[in-house]
Amino acid sequence: MSSNPRSRWANAQEDEAVEAERKRVKEERRQRKAAKARKAEEEEEARKKKHSLGSAEDRPTKRQRRTPEPDLPPAKPLRFEVEGWDKSRSVEHYDKLNDIEEGTYGWVARATELATGKVVALKRLKLEAGDRSGLPVTGLREIQILRDCKHRNIVSMDEVVVGDNVSRLDNSIFLVLEFVEHDLKGILDDMPEPFLSSEVKQLLLQLTSGVAYLHNHWILHRDLKTSNILLNNRGQLKIADFGMARYVGDPPPKLTSLVVTLWYRSPELLLGTKTYGSAVDMWSVGCIFGELLTREPLLQGKNEVDQISKVFELCGVPTEESWPGFRRLPNARSLRLPRSAQTTGSVIRARFPNLTSAGASLLNDLLALDPERRPSASEMLQHEYFHQDPKPKPESLFPTFPSKAGQEKRRRHEPNAPARGQAAASLGEVDLGGLFQRREKEERGAGFSLRMV
Amino acid sequence: MAHLTNPLATPSQLYNHTSFSSLPADLREVVFITTQCLTQAAGLLLELPQSVTAQANVILARYWLIDSPMAHEFSDVSAAALYLVAKVGPMPRSTRDVSNVYAYLLSPKSSLFRAPQEGRPEEDPKAYYQTESDYFAFQSRLLALEARILYCLSFNTHVSLPHALAITYLQTLDFLSQPKSTISHRVTQYLNTALLSPQMLYLTHQPHALATAAIYNAARDLWAKMPETEWWEVFDVDREDLGFLVVGMRSVEGILASRREEMPWAGEGMTTRTLVEGEMQKRGLQAENGETKQLDKEDEAMRMLDSR
Repeated sequence: MSSNPRSRWANAQEDEAVEAERKRVKEERRQRKAAKARKAEEEEEARKKKHSLGSAEDRPTKRQRRTPEPDLPPAKPLRFEVEGWDKSRSVEHYDKLNDIEEGTYGWVARATELATGKVVALKRLKLEAGDRSGLPVTGLREIQILRDCKHRNIVSMDEVVVGDNVSRLDNSIFLVLEFVEHDLKGILDDMPEPFLSSEVKQLLLQLTSGVAYLHNHWILHRDLKTSNILLNNRGQLKIADFGMARYVGDPPPKLTSLVVTLWYRSPELLLGTKTYGSAVDMWSVGCIFGELLTREPLLQGKNEVDQISKVFELCGVPTEESWPGFRRLPNARSLRLPRSAQTTGSVIRARFPNLTSAGASLLNDLLALDPERRPSASEMLQHEYFHQDPKPKPESLFPTFPSKAGQEKRRRHEPNAPARGQAAASLGEVDLGGLFQRREKEERGAGFSLRMV
Repeated sequence: MAHLTNPLATPSQLYNHTSFSSLPADLREVVFITTQCLTQAAGLLLELPQSVTAQANVILARYWLIDSPMAHEFSDVSAAALYLVAKVGPMPRSTRDVSNVYAYLLSPKSSLFRAPQEGRPEEDPKAYYQTESDYFAFQSRLLALEARILYCLSFNTHVSLPHALAITYLQTLDFLSQPKSTISHRVTQYLNTALLSPQMLYLTHQPHALATAAIYNAARDLWAKMPETEWWEVFDVDREDLGFLVVGMRSVEGILASRREEMPWAGEGMTTRTLVEGEMQKRGLQAENGETKQLDKEDEAMRMLDSR
């Protein structure tokens, strides 16, 4: 408006403009208020009207009002639920029952809270030995994200407790997590018959609601896989392990491409993209969908190069049409791919002959090479696959499984989540070139070949 | 809602804060303001965005409601808070960088907290040179304090800042018919100054209230015409909170100026624990005027430990 605010009182023209502006602002405010009142009315028709239209319309004519008018209802400012902060409690409040696992994520044990008898999982924050940069950032992010997430399909965290010696906290920081009996990987490994299609549907539905919640809250999980997905004896699925997760913004920040366990890693990550979004999680959801159907991980590459060729075997070789701009990705520039028609189509339909056409089309969409073409989690929830028969099996009718978390440790025969660190990321890129070259001689079976220029 | 809200200090925490440390209120204020200023200066030299440095200010203030400020060297707490927030955020900084920056800011040649000198300050790298063992010792203190801070905040490092919210509010108010950059700048200045306030406004009020109060103050400064209604209610702030924050935000500069006048040593480089202890010793003598008992340093330290 006026570039010289102090002089505007002297200038009649400007004065008018200011007046007009003020009126406009008021009018806008009045309209907002009226709209708000209308909305409130619609929502609370049964209740007494909080904002009457009449009083809202009177508002602009009143001047110099310094105290609320008696005829106006008192304002009810929105108040938030407030939490505070204090020192972490001691781990001595819990009694350890048994170890659950000691693996890539560090140590997890089953424990009861002494005061309440509640059974929880205690997860020790893994510290890098001799790391002179303090507590691991992945652990701190995991804590922060779990603290912020409240959803029935996401494992809940009660608190963080510490060991007795608070002056030296190394290796004595524990996340107190909701205890869930099984992980999906363990169940899939042990079950004699695959899940029924109604069960697959229910599991996928729950997984997708959890992922949708995360994405709506600007969180990327970045390590979705069956061993990170838990299932309790009441048929409830919970997403766990947020060691790779982080908050992102819009536009997405530059991120490391060394995320997601290899078998669940999307093609854009394999090709080294630094700007990616929620679509990387949707790819993993697609892989998990496939795994739920067959009990076998869908794409079991031995290394990055093997992984991307397995991806292209299943989904076809990307073209400028099927994935515009993929050539500009760091690891794709030097990738030479055949361009015959047979190699570009997806063979997903053929690989899952028992899947309904809606299911196959959903899987196809999730495993689209172009991240832009993958549905978002919220879009996926609307997919007709979930509305068709057989309907998702109600959680309460889910079978129960013998709990392995009780005593024995779990077998693991899958690659680990990538370790954090710059060296590893650059190593991957360098190696990839060499591996592609070796492939030229070795692999020709898939109907196409990968060669370096 | 997590993006819009902060955990707030409980009344008992605020009350205990005044009683659990033996620091008199004026000394505590000096320590608070200078340490927050140091954090800001370090944030600038580390090329961290203000969004990161401001979060470090808030984390530090929260920490000092749990542990006494006298428990650790002020500059170390400042460094640890900044290091921690930068680490979990998008722009991590190495312990080496943090160490160098704090060594420089605390060196006698740094212009921080000193009256501006004529001409260019003379270059003297020796004044802030750090030996390997200096660095190692600093790093160890930094990492121990990082863990300590996290422990005292039960590992909750979430901070919502009001800055972006304030701009959104300004947009809905059509920038009160002021040039956008002028009024936004003023609002930001109020929000940043409030970070230094020993009243710890960021621990007692939610971001939306801080944003609204900053807009009110900026509008007053610029003689901008505000809506004649109780417009702050639209932003869920009641009159009482607004009034408190408006006064609180305006008082920071005055507090700092008057403390500097009372305590000239606060204008001679970063306040340290030794300085504060010395000051307390001086007052101990004054307070117990007529008595012959002299508090030596050890007694003083013991007394502080007891009172904690």
